[in-house]
Amino acid sequence: MEKKIGRICAEGFSFFGMTNRLISHELKNILAIISETLGLIDELVALSDTGTKWKPGKLQSLSESVIEEVERANSIIRNMNTFAHSVDEFIREVDVSQIVNLMIEISQLDSPAKNVRFRLAENDDCVIYTSPFFLEKLIYHVIDFSLRGAGPENEIRISFDSDDYGVKIIFSGIAQIIIGEFPTKKEDLLAEILSAKVSLETTARELSILLPKKIGESFIQNLLPAD
Amino acid sequence: MKILLVDDEEKFISRLAERLKLRGFDADWTTTCDGAILKAGTEKYDLAVLDVKMPCMSGIEIKKRIMQRAPNMKFIFVTGHGSEEDYDMGTKEGSFYIIKPFKIETLVEKIEQALNL
Repeated sequence: MEKKIGRICAEGFSFFGMTNRLISHELKNILAIISETLGLIDELVALSDTGTKWKPGKLQSLSESVIEEVERANSIIRNMNTFAHSVDEFIREVDVSQIVNLMIEISQLDSPAKNVRFRLAENDDCVIYTSPFFLEKLIYHVIDFSLRGAGPENEIRISFDSDDYGVKIIFSGIAQIIIGEFPTKKEDLLAEILSAKVSLETTARELSILLPKKIGESFIQNLLPAD
Repeated sequence: MKILLVDDEEKFISRLAERLKLRGFDADWTTTCDGAILKAGTEKYDLAVLDVKMPCMSGIEIKKRIMQRAPNMKFIFVTGHGSEEDYDMGTKEGSFYIIKPFKIETLVEKIEQALNL
């Protein structure tokens, strides 16, 4: 049991580290765009002092793109903040679709993910009582695997099916032939914590996560602070 | 001096190209790996500035493919990471290395060093 908890803690730290790396990398990209754009504006203004003319509207388009990048950075930081707050309460009520959306946005900061489109279906009731952090981690693993196994359409469709038992998240559009085993021991451990079931149906080109309305008793309760 | 710039961030790479042109370099750019390999095979460039992390393959892999077609080309790797691991990888490849965001003067300096100008 202690070994399992140790593994879970190490995995959790590594997940935090990985998301920090992705976010800081993307923020550096944004800073580089802003830096080059402002540098170019500065040089164009200096050139205009010497009488050189440039295309009308160029300055406006450059300054607008700075605003767009600031908004992009703000959205990334907002996601980073939401993610950071996911460890505030170990177990609480969460909207599964919001977590899926957050994990899509975070995973798309990784370069290979930029080639794949995600289409998220509308849904009504996806609220369950679970561990937000470990759910995020499991969803991230599934998204990562879906990306590696994205079919020829390069599009992953995500839908939700909820009933009295809980919520099923279905990832469709993965390739029929996938290299590598899935779920691995890592996903099995996360599924155990969340009382979830991860299934891969290659013939249907689907991956799914079945989550109960309320997380069951598991060894993870040992990590909860005593009342 | 003809320079090929490769990065998946179009706004970044197009503006960098424009600024290098203002400094007298013949700068061309692409946002795709295929575009980089194709351009390097059809036109003669003295140097390529490559993003280390492209969606399709790593900058190191692009360098290897370009070198099959243009063995004398010089390379500068650009990254947003700036970790020691990245630095080692870039220098092991016998190339120059620059971390985003950077001052254009720093890039120009590295270009001049790489091309012995």
